[in-house]
Amino acid sequence: MKGSLECWSRLLLLLVVSNLLLCQGVVSTPVCPNGPGNCQVSLRDLFDRAVMVSHYIHNLSSEMFNEFDKRYAQGKGFITMALNSCHTSSLPTPEDKEQAQQTHHEVLMSLILGLLRSWNDPLYHLVTEVRGMKGVPDAILSRAIEIEEENKRLLEGMEMIFGQVIPGAKETEPYPVWSGLPSLQTKDEDARHSAFYNLLHCLRRDSSKIDTYLKLLNCRIIYNNNC
Amino acid sequence: MKENAASRVLFILLLFLFARLPTNYTLTYRKEGETLIHECPDYKTGGPNSCYFSKKYTSIWKMYVITVSAINQMGISSSDPLYVDVTYIVEPEPPVNLTLELKHPEDRKPYLWIKWSPPTLTDVKSGWFSIQYEIRLKPEKATDWETHFAPKLTQLKIFNLYPGQKYLVQIRCKPDHGYWSEWSPESFIQIPNDFPVKDTSMWIFVGVLSAVICLIMVWAVALKGYSMVTCILPPVPGPKIKGFDIHLLEKGKSEELLRALESQDFLPTSDCEDLLMEFIEVDDSEDQHLMPHPSKEHMEQGVKPMHLDPDTDSGRGSCDSPSLLSEKCDEPQAYPSKFHIPEGPEKLEDPKTNHTCLQAPQSTSGEGKIPYFLANGPKSSTWPFPQPPSLYSPRYSYHNIADVCELALGMAGTTATLLDQTDQHAFKPSKTIETGGEGKAAKQSESEGYSSEPDQDMAWPLLQDKTPLFSAKPLEYVEIHKVSQDGVLALFPKQNEKVDAPETSKEYSKVSRVTDSNILVLIPDLQAQNLTLLEESAKKAPPALP
Repeated sequence: MKGSLECWSRLLLLLVVSNLLLCQGVVSTPVCPNGPGNCQVSLRDLFDRAVMVSHYIHNLSSEMFNEFDKRYAQGKGFITMALNSCHTSSLPTPEDKEQAQQTHHEVLMSLILGLLRSWNDPLYHLVTEVRGMKGVPDAILSRAIEIEEENKRLLEGMEMIFGQVIPGAKETEPYPVWSGLPSLQTKDEDARHSAFYNLLHCLRRDSSKIDTYLKLLNCRIIYNNNC
Repeated sequence: MKENAASRVLFILLLFLFARLPTNYTLTYRKEGETLIHECPDYKTGGPNSCYFSKKYTSIWKMYVITVSAINQMGISSSDPLYVDVTYIVEPEPPVNLTLELKHPEDRKPYLWIKWSPPTLTDVKSGWFSIQYEIRLKPEKATDWETHFAPKLTQLKIFNLYPGQKYLVQIRCKPDHGYWSEWSPESFIQIPNDFPVKDTSMWIFVGVLSAVICLIMVWAVALKGYSMVTCILPPVPGPKIKGFDIHLLEKGKSEELLRALESQDFLPTSDCEDLLMEFIEVDDSEDQHLMPHPSKEHMEQGVKPMHLDPDTDSGRGSCDSPSLLSEKCDEPQAYPSKFHIPEGPEKLEDPKTNHTCLQAPQSTSGEGKIPYFLANGPKSSTWPFPQPPSLYSPRYSYHNIADVCELALGMAGTTATLLDQTDQHAFKPSKTIETGGEGKAAKQSESEGYSSEPDQDMAWPLLQDKTPLFSAKPLEYVEIHKVSQDGVLALFPKQNEKVDAPETSKEYSKVSRVTDSNILVLIPDLQAQNLTLLEESAKKAPPALP
């Protein structure tokens, strides 16, 4: 018994020594960089994460749209019906770079928050209805589920950023409400697919807007226009 | 980008048939959300059959619906509308300022350091665009390109280059959702011949570390060689039977071997408590006549020697069985109630094998809880019963001890089976380990754990309804009258059908003596002796008891 104890203790010692020798370069980041009592995630980190998530969401939306187009929309001319079909078109979003650069970051952030909130409900129903589609490829369904989750995450992050950049911000402003659920549930399969096409097309666009605005804000606020 | 990256849209117009007649083409468009139809603002800048939309006319996140019409003498023909969202059709210019540099730091591996800048017209600084880059390189004479992806940074390090080669390097880029640019013009770099490929410092480090580890191992082995070896390679345990002398195997004497085997404690221990039962075999003999027996010291008034029946005839106990009962058959009648604790000669050899095969057979009523008796080694005396008498059923039928032991030891397992195969006559009296009655043992009713001391290493189940054992036997049996608080037995002779019921029940409560081979000899106490005597004698007995 004693012999085995010694044996194990020696092996352990060897392991520890080799570990120390090999793991020299590990640096751990402090949990509270701003000192104790102020243990918050820094704004830079918040923006980094938000940009990553928004980029991810936009990638997923594009892929989902392309998959749907390939599978259900070939030769159907759904695009004609997709014009002016986005429920968020009432939001006064800047349409090009100059307009965006001239928009105050407070306004931009409110727009981002409005877009994110207005997509909560449609994304939820999108997942439910896509599940019910016969023979839906997993590529579409899995992305829909992922986008819904990431959207919530991004909304949380944006609210935190908003609270830090604009302390004492006023109450949330109203956001556009989606009312396209009946069209997603019609019996006519073509009409149903057309409704899905519209929704995915709008999702791709709005996620691109969110991503672009966030990257603009990130470079403007954190990196001083020197990304 | 060819012109203002964000604002220029270059459309490729399809030429329709009928190019012979002079034909005018017009492009008209409208934007999503508007009803006005516009005509192309600039047909010239983009070349023939093109339409150029400058920054002023370009909006992103809005669909353009574009139609081209052809007009000639024959009439007007319009194309299908083209739906375009500017966001997804951006193609940038290639990156610029591609620089190549060979670096050879002292403690690290040498590498090629490639740097570049984003295209001039792409606004990356403000964050409006996110650009990804791709670099490819190959030795001049090779055919296949080696491609590297750089998601964000504008520099890249390449390792593992072949010395003496001339390398070509190219780069291109694309926005997040757009098209790849063209490849940049080629850049060249010559790797010198003496360019070290491998980094030696790492190997030195590895060598030193392994040498240190070897030294530590050698030192450990030298100091405590044996214990290390046993730690890494534990010795294979040899076969071991408790209390068994392995040398018997070497001698090859079957008799001794079997004797040794059968004396072992093969029985299950404390976790089978509910199956463990005590039983006491009492030999009922009215004549108080001792049977002639080879070991005369066992013979005492009222004492009957016990023999084990090694075969599996379930408790017939008649003159047919080659058991100890053969001697009984010679006797005219049963003996007075005796209390016999059998023992094997092995006990003398190895105290661990001490055990008792005490039966307290169940009556036909089969009711009540059955106490069990854990025979023990030299540690403690299991007699008298350590448990309170409340667990006791007052009536117990009586069995041939051999049969009971059979049944009891049926749970013992394989070794017993082995023994069964052997020469029965090789068994001496007081063997208690038997085979066979596994099935019967299974019939045992649940009994309260009687002696649940964990140091008990043997127990036998109590037989329940042992009617087959009641076939014609010359023996008379004894009933256990009661058990005192200290677990002392009070015995009665069983009512024998052939004999008139005695007026009074005799109480065998007096221990005459304990024999050399640890057999308790009981005699009836004619004075209706109380149990205390029994207790006293039992208390004296413990050291001698198994």
